Amino acid sequence: MIKIDKSAWDIMLAHARACYPRECCGTMLGTEENGVRSVKIARPMRNAFEGAQEDTYVLDPQEQLAVEKEARAQGLSVVGIFHSHPDCDAYFSKRDLENSCPWYSFVVLSIKNGEFDHANSFLPNFDQTEAPKEPLEY
Amino acid sequence: MPKILIPTPLRQFAGGNDAVDAAGATIGECLEALTTQHPDLRKNLFNDEGKLRSFVNIYLNDEDIRYLSKTGTAVKDSDTISIVPSIAGGR
Repeated sequence: MIKIDKSAWDIMLAHARACYPRECCGTMLGTEENGVRSVKIARPMRNAFEGAQEDTYVLDPQEQLAVEKEARAQGLSVVGIFHSHPDCDAYFSKRDLENSCPWYSFVVLSIKNGEFDHANSFLPNFDQTEAPKEPLEY
Repeated sequence: MPKILIPTPLRQFAGGNDAVDAAGATIGECLEALTTQHPDLRKNLFNDEGKLRSFVNIYLNDEDIRYLSKTGTAVKDSDTISIVPSIAGGR
């Protein structure tokens, strides 16, 4: 299960709206206890994909390194990744799955006509063949 | 000896450590030392063929080893090695 603090959620929504109609992406920092991930901070990141960003995102590894350092300094952990799906539902696509990592929660935000519609969180497996939904609270 | 920083989700497979000292002259040797000390990490980092999983990027200090000499990259005792997942996607 993943619970996202309002302050972090508001930052994620603002980033997703600001990037619309392009896909946004970012990292979620927090804690994990007894199988519950609690997100305290959201860090918007640049979409490093160099082509059309309406349907693609790539995290910048240098920013990931910086966020990992920030998390360590604050006694927090990187617990998840978020990105948006402009004008479509918050599903975990084949490309999302093939480029995922089993270590984190993946929150997808559906942004339709520039406004938030709904969100889901997924837990991809090692072989990048399945990503079951996990309960999401925000 | 070089230090390998362990991302939080992997610490449960590394005895709870957030960093592990791993002896070796190259990145490959250090990763081998790491997974010998903590065998449960192996599945997270390597596939069945013994190659780094597609979503695993390794950084030597701030440099991606793919742009150096990959796992043959030489390391010094003062170096820090980071494990950074490669993440992308799209609808």
